Amino acid sequence: MAVEALKIIRDAEEEGRKLLEEAKASVASMLKDAEEEVKRLKEKAREDEKSIASEISAKYIQEGKEEEAAILKTAEAEVKELKSATESDLDTAVNVVLEKILGVR
Amino acid sequence: MGAKEMAEKIKGEANGESEKIINEAKANAEKKLEDTKKELELQKKRFVEAEERKGIEEKERIVRAARQNARKLRWMAEEEIIEKALERALKHLKDVKSEGFEGNSYPNILAGLIKDSTMSITAGSSAGAELEVLLSEEDAAASYIDQAMLKNLTDEISHDSGGNVRLSLSDERIKSAGGVIVRRKDGEIEVNNTFEERMARLSTSLREEIVKTLFTGK
Repeated sequence: MAVEALKIIRDAEEEGRKLLEEAKASVASMLKDAEEEVKRLKEKAREDEKSIASEISAKYIQEGKEEEAAILKTAEAEVKELKSATESDLDTAVNVVLEKILGVR
Repeated sequence: MGAKEMAEKIKGEANGESEKIINEAKANAEKKLEDTKKELELQKKRFVEAEERKGIEEKERIVRAARQNARKLRWMAEEEIIEKALERALKHLKDVKSEGFEGNSYPNILAGLIKDSTMSITAGSSAGAELEVLLSEEDAAASYIDQAMLKNLTDEISHDSGGNVRLSLSDERIKSAGGVIVRRKDGEIEVNNTFEERMARLSTSLREEIVKTLFTGK
């Protein structure tokens, strides 16, 4: 009778031990999955950073180019206007130069 | 307590412990994932901010370069106009001999240049000076300056300076489009008032005059 009782208890202990081992295995697997998920998330973040950098850079370069075009367009118009505005005064400037070279001023 | 009850108790405890371990691990794994997600979100936010700053700097660099190019364009246009004025003046210089300038005949202009040169040489000296006037072959042949004119100039300069100045025409000829060189007879001092030399000497002020005439307020 006592032997049978001991066996029942030993079996229960064995079952409990197995349960704990299974739990530990399950925990290890869970942690491994979590580690892999973390790794995947970090890799994805690295990949995302590349496209984010590229998009942001392209956006500001585009804005810069647009401003550049506007600045140069304005400058070209100003140069054209300057040339046209000074044409009528060119003879006056030539006379000023001649006065100084000839010493008649 | 019987053996069966003890066995049930042992299994129950093992079950409880097992569930506890699994639940704790699950919570840890979830926390780790949550922490990682939060960390990556923060990292992404900082990354975006850094890239935005870099982007803005790049944009500003492009705009600065464009402004610099715009200034260069204007500067080049001004230089082109200044050169045009100087070239046109140089062309007009050739007509001065035949047409004079602003009511001054070419001989009068030469007389002015001789007087200016002489005054420069004799400035600060009350002693007498013997000076000679050098002309180009063309100007000498055209007799733009003759002895009578030199005599008048001599009197005028001597009167103005209070010194005794004597001017004569040199037989030596200079290569020049116009103007004169006046030098002391001992060759120690000379003033070059040829057009080419004056243009070079006055280059800075000529450019300033052109800029003032053409670009001020434009």
